[in-house]
Amino acid sequence: MTIREKGYHHWDGQFIERRRPWWPITRLGIRLTFKRKFFKFVFSSSLLPAVVFLAGIYISERLDDFQHMVRRESILLDIAPKYFGTYLTADFLLFMAVIILVFCGAGLVADDLKHNTLQLYFARPLRKRDYLLGKASVVFFFLLLLTLVPGLLLIIFKLIFSGSFRLLLENPWLPLAVLAYSLLFTLFLTAYALLLSSLSRNGRAVSLLIFGVYLFSDMLFNILYGIFHSPYLGLLSLRTNLRLAAVPLFGLKPPLGLPWGHSYILIAVVIVLSALVLAKKVKGVNVIK
Amino acid sequence: MSALAKVFNFFSRLGQKSRRTQFFFVLSSLPVLLAVFLRLQQTLSLSRRNITGLFFYSNVILPFYVQFLVLMLALFYGTSIVLEEVEGRTLPYLISRPLPRPSIILGKYGASAILALVMIDIGLVASFLILNAERLGDLSFDLVLLRDLAVLDLGLLCYLALFTFLGALLKRAVLFGLLFCFGWENVLIYFPGLTQKLAIAHYLKSLIPQPPSSGFAFLRFNLEPSPPLTAVLVLIILTAVFLAAACLTFSLKEYLFEN
Amino acid sequence: MTAAIETQKLSKYYGNILGLSEVSLEIRPGITGLLGPNGAGKSTLMKILTGQLRPSLGRAFIWGEKVWNNHHLFGRIGYCPEHDSFYEQTTGWQFLTGLLRLFPFSSAEADERAERALDTVELLADKDRLIRGYSRGMRQRLKVAQALAHDPELFILDEPLNGLDPLGKRKIIRLIKDLKNERRTVLVSSHVLPEVEALTKDIILIHQGKILASGEIHTLRDLIDSHPHIIALRCERPRELAARLVAEPYVLKIHLGGQPDSLIVETNNRDRFFSLLPELVTDMGLAVAEITSPDDNLQAVFDYLVGK
Repeated sequence: MTIREKGYHHWDGQFIERRRPWWPITRLGIRLTFKRKFFKFVFSSSLLPAVVFLAGIYISERLDDFQHMVRRESILLDIAPKYFGTYLTADFLLFMAVIILVFCGAGLVADDLKHNTLQLYFARPLRKRDYLLGKASVVFFFLLLLTLVPGLLLIIFKLIFSGSFRLLLENPWLPLAVLAYSLLFTLFLTAYALLLSSLSRNGRAVSLLIFGVYLFSDMLFNILYGIFHSPYLGLLSLRTNLRLAAVPLFGLKPPLGLPWGHSYILIAVVIVLSALVLAKKVKGVNVIK
Repeated sequence: MSALAKVFNFFSRLGQKSRRTQFFFVLSSLPVLLAVFLRLQQTLSLSRRNITGLFFYSNVILPFYVQFLVLMLALFYGTSIVLEEVEGRTLPYLISRPLPRPSIILGKYGASAILALVMIDIGLVASFLILNAERLGDLSFDLVLLRDLAVLDLGLLCYLALFTFLGALLKRAVLFGLLFCFGWENVLIYFPGLTQKLAIAHYLKSLIPQPPSSGFAFLRFNLEPSPPLTAVLVLIILTAVFLAAACLTFSLKEYLFEN
Repeated sequence: MTAAIETQKLSKYYGNILGLSEVSLEIRPGITGLLGPNGAGKSTLMKILTGQLRPSLGRAFIWGEKVWNNHHLFGRIGYCPEHDSFYEQTTGWQFLTGLLRLFPFSSAEADERAERALDTVELLADKDRLIRGYSRGMRQRLKVAQALAHDPELFILDEPLNGLDPLGKRKIIRLIKDLKNERRTVLVSSHVLPEVEALTKDIILIHQGKILASGEIHTLRDLIDSHPHIIALRCERPRELAARLVAEPYVLKIHLGGQPDSLIVETNNRDRFFSLLPELVTDMGLAVAEITSPDDNLQAVFDYLVGK
């Protein structure tokens, strides 16, 4: 009689190429996030800046009706690429993105480490990259909903309200810029969230880490800048880095006069670091091969 | 020994060993590193700006504690008091002991408070001494340190009590805590009149001198301070109210474990 | 003898989901097995009895006192929870002595009790190892140790044999049976039928939040006379034996053909059948290789009662 070994075995069968093997992980993650209490309220609140900027676009097309309320030279009314860049780099948007990370990103890897479910994943025909892509896609989904979708909708509404394609004719690269920045923003914050999520088994601690590092980076920059007045210290701040990255895409004024290329390097470093740490932390532990 | 003391002893011993205590000790030592950094900078004249130790202490170190470290410590330790037992499913071990439920909350609160207070106080005292070493022995200076220690300790106890209550009441207490500290309170302090008094931070900041407007602009705020005695009383009363609410909630609520 | 545990129409709802429905029972000193499949309500009942949950309707009493928020009771109750959870950063010794010091024991007494309890569950040699390094069986034994270390009068053990190997199970079963000899009350839950059978004859069957039956296993069996008992035999000349048995009025069915030397008999009177069988076997000079009663166990009882 054959004695069968019990327990989870790492999948050593054939990997049949399927389209989107990561999709079930993503779908589950999105569903679970939506089920969380108050998430819908928080997510709706994070779209407030989009509503405000949409109102700005509307007002800019109906200036005569609103001239008693608004100064003509107000930045709110200059619907140029900078306008869309200002929306995407707004402090409130970043704050709400971090709050959303706390909701959807804190437990992504931490909970799997805590409950030892990684071996359940890898006992199925799932590669590590599919697992990580599935988890990352949960964060992608929500952050792109927050950045790319409103960004593109603002462009569309501008075209509709103005009744002409002048904005696009003058700035044909604008939708691409919105896409590029949204992807960069999303990729960076996803790497950030997954990196921190893999460092602890305690979802609450990760939530605090996600928020704390974001806040602390800014505080540290301000403290050291107060001492040394070196603009390069701005690279310590998460917020400043993301703003810098938007400079070449939307023609914004670089904060502290910093060269924007440095922020791209730093963002790339964070993404690579996150990938390395995740590759080390995410493994089918206690798996019998 | 009273039930409260027994719980306090048990969790004091547990808390000392945990990794998070080590992490927070490191975090609360950062101001000390900054103080050392500034001293080195002054000694080696690395910066053209001449910043005095007291200025740096009042404008950077102290606000860093008030606006960040105290909040993070209180948020983590406070919400952990109940949520850690629920998430770790160790709550049955405590509830099935002959301990009144409020003693579990108060004992854990005491253990967390002592740990957090030690972290804050050591960091603050060390930073102060490093930055103002040449003025040691000056009584007025020492009183500044004592005042700031007292304010920070009171603030920590108050926030810790609030987050203990939130942790007993809500599953997502950390999120609400973050929104309260860095959303609600950050916004309210810029409002005039009575609205400012709806923030715990208002009372803390009423007890410490406001930093001047130059230098570290991110710490500026439009405070309309309450009288010091009022601020102290309000903080003590709030601490007591939050603790009472936490005890009541814990006594009446059922905690279900997620499967 | 007064009941240690009494519930009166105890119900528990989790929102719209029924956990327990009108459970009325009395548990007296001795060992009582609480048996039911997963999700039947065993843990819910135990959590109400250990003060973790409040009844939605009805009442629960231990020694005549209400349980909810009555911490005075818990000095005399030992609870072994279902979940495999500990303060992982502690050693077994630190865990046990720490919890014992929450009772009104001195440090020395707590240490002595901890040593005794760990010795009882055979964990003394590993007491200074971190719990996170314990095997599943060691963790389970530690849970049992913390339940009995303070010498309670009432034990509420939620699936205490989970995760134990057969040898470990035997030891814990023996330990629990020894508790009965000291006139304590033990309520043990399990969904594994042979485990409960090995522990006690007094069982409570629970299913979908309701008590299906309670009493001695054999009394319960008698309650279901409408369902026939099945007896399997292996012998030479099974057809001859079948021909003799079929004449008996209490033999309802005989099934042949599973194996060449086997037959399966359905009867509604086990006792009469077993008193006839030796006579027949002797008369016919039959060599009987095996007699089994596949349904003479809790599984069969349970299956009949839930109508499977």
